[in-house]
Amino acid sequence: MMTKRLLAFCMVFVCLAVTNVFAGASYRDHQQLTQKLRGLADKHPDLISLQTLGKTVGGKDIWLLSIGAGDITKKPAIAMVGGVSGDHLLGTEIALGFAERLALGVGQQDVRALLDSVTFYIVPDVSPDARAQFFAPLRYERFGNANPSDLDRDGRIGEDPYDDLNGDGLITLMRIKDPTGKWIKHPDDERVMVKANMEKGERGQYLVFSEGVDNDKDGQFNEDGEEGIFFNKNFTFDYPVFDRGAGEHPVSEIETRAIADFLFGAKNVFAVVSFGPANNLTHPLSFSERNASGRIITGWLEHDATINRMVSHTYHMHVQSKGSSAVSGSPGDFFQWAYFHYGRFSFSTPGWWVPPAGDDGKPAENAEVNFLRWAEKENIPDVFVPWTRVDHPDFPGQEAEVGGIAPFVMKNPPEQIIAGIADNHYGFLMHLAAMRPRLDIVNVKTEQLGRNLFRISVDIANTGAMPATSQLGQRVRWVQKPVVRLELDRRQELISGRTIDIIQELQGHSSTERSWLVRGGGTVTLRAGSESAGFKQIEIKL
Amino acid sequence: MIFISVIFALLLLSGTNNFLPAQSVDMLFKAAGTPVNPKVQISWNRYYTNDGLYEISRQLAAAHPDLIKLESIGKSYEGREIWLLTVTNHSNKPHMDKPGFWIDGNIHANEIQGSEIALYTAWYLAENYGDNAFVTQLMDEKVFYIAPTINPDGRENYMFEPNTVSTPRSGTIPLDDDGDGEVAEDGFDDLNGDGHITQMRRRNPMGQFVECPEDPRRLIPARPGEFGDFDLLGFEGIDRDGDGRINEDGVGRYDPNRDWGWNWQPDHIQRGAYHYPFALPENRAVRDFVMAHPNIAGAQTYHNTGGMILRGPGTREDAGLYTREDIRVYDAIGELGDRLLPGYRYMILYEDLYTVYGGQIDWFHFSRGIYTYTNELFTNYMYFYEQYQNREESQKAPYFFDKYLLFEDAFVPWEPFDHPQFGEIEIGGFKKNFGRIHPGFMLETDAHRNMAFTLYHAYHTPQLEITEVSVTDLGGGLREVIAVVANTRLTPTHAGIDLRHNIERPNYISLEGGEVLAGMLVHNRDLNVVEEQKVNPSTVEVRNIPGMGYVTVKWIVEGGRQITVHVDSPKGGKLSRQAR
Repeated sequence: MMTKRLLAFCMVFVCLAVTNVFAGASYRDHQQLTQKLRGLADKHPDLISLQTLGKTVGGKDIWLLSIGAGDITKKPAIAMVGGVSGDHLLGTEIALGFAERLALGVGQQDVRALLDSVTFYIVPDVSPDARAQFFAPLRYERFGNANPSDLDRDGRIGEDPYDDLNGDGLITLMRIKDPTGKWIKHPDDERVMVKANMEKGERGQYLVFSEGVDNDKDGQFNEDGEEGIFFNKNFTFDYPVFDRGAGEHPVSEIETRAIADFLFGAKNVFAVVSFGPANNLTHPLSFSERNASGRIITGWLEHDATINRMVSHTYHMHVQSKGSSAVSGSPGDFFQWAYFHYGRFSFSTPGWWVPPAGDDGKPAENAEVNFLRWAEKENIPDVFVPWTRVDHPDFPGQEAEVGGIAPFVMKNPPEQIIAGIADNHYGFLMHLAAMRPRLDIVNVKTEQLGRNLFRISVDIANTGAMPATSQLGQRVRWVQKPVVRLELDRRQELISGRTIDIIQELQGHSSTERSWLVRGGGTVTLRAGSESAGFKQIEIKL
Repeated sequence: MIFISVIFALLLLSGTNNFLPAQSVDMLFKAAGTPVNPKVQISWNRYYTNDGLYEISRQLAAAHPDLIKLESIGKSYEGREIWLLTVTNHSNKPHMDKPGFWIDGNIHANEIQGSEIALYTAWYLAENYGDNAFVTQLMDEKVFYIAPTINPDGRENYMFEPNTVSTPRSGTIPLDDDGDGEVAEDGFDDLNGDGHITQMRRRNPMGQFVECPEDPRRLIPARPGEFGDFDLLGFEGIDRDGDGRINEDGVGRYDPNRDWGWNWQPDHIQRGAYHYPFALPENRAVRDFVMAHPNIAGAQTYHNTGGMILRGPGTREDAGLYTREDIRVYDAIGELGDRLLPGYRYMILYEDLYTVYGGQIDWFHFSRGIYTYTNELFTNYMYFYEQYQNREESQKAPYFFDKYLLFEDAFVPWEPFDHPQFGEIEIGGFKKNFGRIHPGFMLETDAHRNMAFTLYHAYHTPQLEITEVSVTDLGGGLREVIAVVANTRLTPTHAGIDLRHNIERPNYISLEGGEVLAGMLVHNRDLNVVEEQKVNPSTVEVRNIPGMGYVTVKWIVEGGRQITVHVDSPKGGKLSRQAR
C-alpha cells in the first residue's frame, strides 16, 4: 500500500521533530495546557486557532485547536482526541505534542504545503475534570467529571469517597487479613495481590479493597465519591445503561455533547484518532461476517477492516508496540462511537505499553508483576507504596495494611520518555494525513457528436489511499458523500446525464466514470467533491 | 384563522378572563358529565394555534389560580416557549408530595389534536373541581403535569405552511434529506396557493388510474388489461434543484420520537434519529422536567392515528424487562381503555405496530420507571362506526363521509394547473386537516373518551395509606412499634425496571418520637419473619410497595412519648400518622 516515496516523505517529518526541544516534557495540568495552546494560537494566527467547545461543571474549558490554511472546513481533516479516559494523561500529551511539533514545522515548505490541503482538529483533553485529579493533593485514577452523581444509585450523592488512610496523598489498595477473604499474595511477587485460584486448591487469606473507609456503612468501599460521569462510557454505541459512571442516558454530559456537536458539524473529518484504552492500531480489528450484518452492526464492515489493516501497518512503521495487545473497545466508549455511529474511520491507541519484563523477553504472566519487574530494571522510582499497617475503623482488631502500585504509573510512562512517544505519533499522524482521500477529476474527454451535440466523459478519481467515506459511512446520513454537479449556462441544454449526482462509494486509488450529453457551445463547469475528500472544479470547453 | 384572531381581539378589549362571555345560568340546562357553565368557555370543535393554546392556558390559570399554574419548561429550536400546566388542588399539599401524572401531545408536528385533548383534560379537571366527587378526589390526591404541545415549531409549520396531512412529522431544524450537501432546498410548492399540499394528476390515454364511478373525485387503478385516463404525479411540487426528484428535501427531516435516551439507535439503524438522544431542545426540556419531578408515576402521550392504545416496549430485545407485575398493571388499564374508546385497540408497540428505538414511551418506562401509554388518536372506525375489512372499503369511506357529513369541506376539487415541468395537470385532493385529525364535531367526544382513559390511569398511580400504627409495651423501657403502609391502587411505587436498577430511591418509612434501637421490614408478621436494617434503623428503606398491597415495618424503641410514622415515597407521595 505504502510507496517508498510516501514513506520517505513521512520520515522527513519525523526527523524534523527529533530535536531536543521537547526533551524536558512532563505531564501538564489544565492551566499549563491552556497556556501552551494559547501560545501556539498566538504565534501562528494564520494557521492555528483556539476555541473552547464548552466549560465543564468543574469550570474547565474543553479546548479545540484547529490547524490548517485557508477555509479549513473544506479540507479533509483528522480529528485527534486525548483525555478519553481521565486516568490517561499520556493521551493529552500525545495530542498536544502533535500540535507543538506541527507548529514548529510550519516554516518548512513541505509542512506548509500539507496544511494547504489537510486540516487537523486537536482536542487534547475531553476529561479535564477527571484529569485534574492527577495534580490534586489527593491523587487517584479518576474517570468521572465534576457533575455530581449518584454512582451507586442509592439515592445519595457522593456519600462514600476514597479516604487516604496512610496520608501519602495517593489512593492505592488496602488488604485485611481475614478468613473470608478471597485474595492471596502473588507467589512471584508478594507485593501483588491476586484472587485465590479455587481450581488449584488455593485458599483466600485477604480482603482487598481500594483505600478508604465505608463511610455510609453499606458494606461497600468508596463506591460513591466525588467523581461524576465517565466520558468513555457516555456514548451511544453499546451504551452500558445503568452502569456505574455511564450517566442517565448517552451523551448526557457537557463533554460528550460538546465533542459530538463539534464532530457532527465538522463534515470534513475522515478519520478520528483517539488516545485511550482501545487499541486497533497495533492490532487491527478483524472482520466478522456475523458482527458486520444484521440491523445493529457490531463489527467493522469488510472493506473498513482492510483499511484498518493498512493504517495499522503504517502505525507499526512509526511506533514501538512491544507489550501491546488488542483492545476492541468498551461499552459506550468514544472509539467505537466514532466508527459505528459517527461513521468515520476510528483509530485508537494507548500510545504506550509496559514492555515485557519476563526472563525470556516475554511479559510476566501477571501484568502487575511484569510492571514491577520492568520498573525495577529501569530504575523507575515511586511506583509502589509499600504495604504498611493502619488502624481501620471498619476492621477493628484486624490486620489491615495500605499499599500497592501507585496510581497512574501503569498507563502513563515516566516523563522522560513522553517526548519520544509524541515524536513517533507525530510521524504516524503526518503519515496518515498523507494517506487522506483526495478527490480529482481526470481523463476529461469531450466528443463532438455533430451539430453542437457533445458528449462529456470524465473519471471522478480518488488518488489518496483512504476511501472517500468508510463503507459504513456510506449508510450514515451525517457522512457527506462526494457530489458531482454539472453547471450549464443558458445557451446549453442537458440531453442526458444528471446535473446533481451523489457518489455512494469511492475507494482509495480508484475512480468512477460519469458522462453527459450537452447541446450548445461555450464552457461548462464541473464540480466534484466533499468536505472530507476535498473539492475539485474544472471548466470544460465544448 | 381570522375568526380566532377576532375572538382574541374581542377578549383583549373586554378584559374578562372568559374565552367567551359566560351565559346566564337560566339559559342553560346541564348535560350529564359536562360542566354547564364553565368559567372558561372553550369550543372543542376546532384546533388552536400556538397562540391559541397559550391563550386558553393563560385563561385557565387566571380563572383557577388555586388549581392551575402555568409555566414554561424550555424553549423550542425556533425559540417558542414550551408551556406546562400544573393541575392539582394546590392548597392542600405541595404538588411534589403527590403522585404525579404527565400528559403531552403533538410531539409529531402534524399530530396536533393531542394538544386539544391535553388541554381539554386540564379544563375538565379545573371546571369540575368541587362539583364532581371523583374529579375532586383526583385533584386532591394527584398532580397532573400537562404540556399541550412539545413541538410548537412543528405545529406552527403544519398550520401556517403548505403541508399534506402527514407533514411535517419533524421539528424545523433544517437538514439535508437527500445527501446532496444542500439543506432543505426542495420542499413542497403550494402551486395553487391554498395552504394545502394535495395531489397532482395528469390526463394520459395510457394512464394507470381512472375516476371512481361512485365518486369521481377519487382515482382508482385501471382494471387489469385496460389503460386508465390519469397518471398520479405525487404531491404538489416542482423539481427546484434539478436533480430529477420532487419535494425530496423539505422541512426537517427527523423524528422527535426517535430522540429519547433508552435503547437509542442512529439514523442508519432507526430512521429519524438525530445526532444522539435528547439532541432536540424540546425533548431536553421534557427530560429535565421529568427528571426533576420523580413523583411522576404515570404518563400519557398523544399521537395520531389509527385508534391505538400503545404500551412499550418499542423493541423485541427489551420485552423481557417488563415484569409480570408491570404487565398486569398495563393490561388492567389498557383493557379498560379498549372498552372506553370504541374503535381503539390496546396494543404492544414492537409486537403489534413496529419497532421503535429511542422512543419516548421507552424512556419514560425504562429510564424513569413511569407507566406510560401512547394513544394513536382517531381511526377510520369513527366515520361510520364500522371496521373495514379491506383497502377498498377503507379508502372509499372518507370520500363518502366528506360528501355526506362534511359537505365536501375536506376536499380541494381538482383544478387545472400549468406546471413548469409536467405541463397541463390538475391539482386536488384531501386537505391537510382531514384523515388524521378529527373533523370538528368529533373532537370533543374523543377528547373526553381519551381523557377518561387517562384519568383512570392517573387514579391508579400509587396511593399510600398508613393503615396501622400500633405500639406494644415490651417492658423494661422498650416499646415495639408496628406500622402498616398500604398502596390502594394498581401501580406499585417502583416498576420492575426500577427495582432492578435502582432508578429511584426506596420508600422511606420513618419513626419519630423515641430512640430507635432497631428497625426492620416484616416479611411475615404472624411467623415473625423479619429483615433487620442495621444502618439508620429509624428510617426503614422499603424498596417497593406493590399495587393493591401493603408492607409492614417494625421498630424497637426506647423512651419517647408520642409516636409518629412518616412515609416518604418518591412516587407515592408523603404522609404521616400518629400512634393512638
